[in-house]
Amino acid sequence: MKGSPLKTLRILLVLTAFLMAGMTAAFLLRPGSADAPSLGAVRLGGDFQLQSSSGPVSLADFRGHPVVMYIGYASCPDVCPTSLAVMTQGFRRLSDDEQARVRGIFISVDPERDSPEKLAEYSAFFHPNLVGLTGTREQIDQVVRQYGAYYRIAELDNSALGYAVDHSSRLYLIAPDGSLAEVLSHNITPDELSAKLRLLL
Amino acid sequence: MPSFSRFAAPLLASLLCVAGPALAEVTVSDAYARAVPPGQSNSAAFLVIRNDADEAVRLIDAASDSAGVVELHTHSEQDGVLKMRRIDAIEIPGRGEHSLAPGADHLMLIGLTRVLSEGDSIGLSLEFSDGQRLQLDVPVKSIMATMQGMQNGHQHHAE
Ligand SMILES: [Cu+2]
Repeated sequence: MKGSPLKTLRILLVLTAFLMAGMTAAFLLRPGSADAPSLGAVRLGGDFQLQSSSGPVSLADFRGHPVVMYIGYASCPDVCPTSLAVMTQGFRRLSDDEQARVRGIFISVDPERDSPEKLAEYSAFFHPNLVGLTGTREQIDQVVRQYGAYYRIAELDNSALGYAVDHSSRLYLIAPDGSLAEVLSHNITPDELSAKLRLLL
Repeated sequence: MPSFSRFAAPLLASLLCVAGPALAEVTVSDAYARAVPPGQSNSAAFLVIRNDADEAVRLIDAASDSAGVVELHTHSEQDGVLKMRRIDAIEIPGRGEHSLAPGADHLMLIGLTRVLSEGDSIGLSLEFSDGQRLQLDVPVKSIMATMQGMQNGHQHHAE
């Protein structure tokens, strides 16, 4: 029964280390809280290149403009259009001059269903300053990683949809210099969003 | 206990009489379907179902004249990740109501046979576990319009 107290201590220390490693991993791998532009030392954000209906687009093309970005998919019937409506209503709260300078980016993680042409039509429905982008799986996965987002294609055996896209739903507020200013909950109100945009104008 | 059955029989009979008209005890309010941008093949419909019967009833099927398939769906959120899934039934408690609302349960309109624009209406039929069927004419509302309405409401409060 009696083991050396030193050995017990060592086991305890090892267990504690494992526990802390697990907690750290869980923290770093979690889909992310709504207001953490950085997870520990990992800095979120950065440039990327995707495809629009009129050719390649990169975040650097938006230099000088505050940008609100959303990652979702167009056949999402509910959460995505609601978030995009919040985004574009936030734009409409601004004066005409201010509104002319803000930009919206909608990134679809479902290129199988969302062609750049379809996304252009979809985005124009919400606001003229909103562009719809998608890309190859590698390009999409890169942006998703860069911004701490999450998505997963879930096969649905029991639905005529065939598959659904599980995804995080946040608004990424990007400063005119291209840096990620803030990650916002999709529950933000248009008024709150327009106030945050004004600070970046 | 002969006296008990003498009372129980008419009581039972009157209960059965009440059960008859109960066939109209599920009602729907605030129903709308969401307008979609051109090119979209799916949309969703939302409504509030009220059940005035004592017993719970389940919505088990739905159909529309404007979509190939209508499915019962729900949303769940886990650690900030949203998942939409098909479900077999939506229960409406006895003497209660259940809202099908954005971000929660909804009727998924799959394979739209026409563009749903603000001001249109679509036919929607609902089937319940006790055999009740409701035939509805549901207005199409744009998300921008519903949201603007909401905000104007807020503004009004603030002023
Ligand atoms: Cu659905």
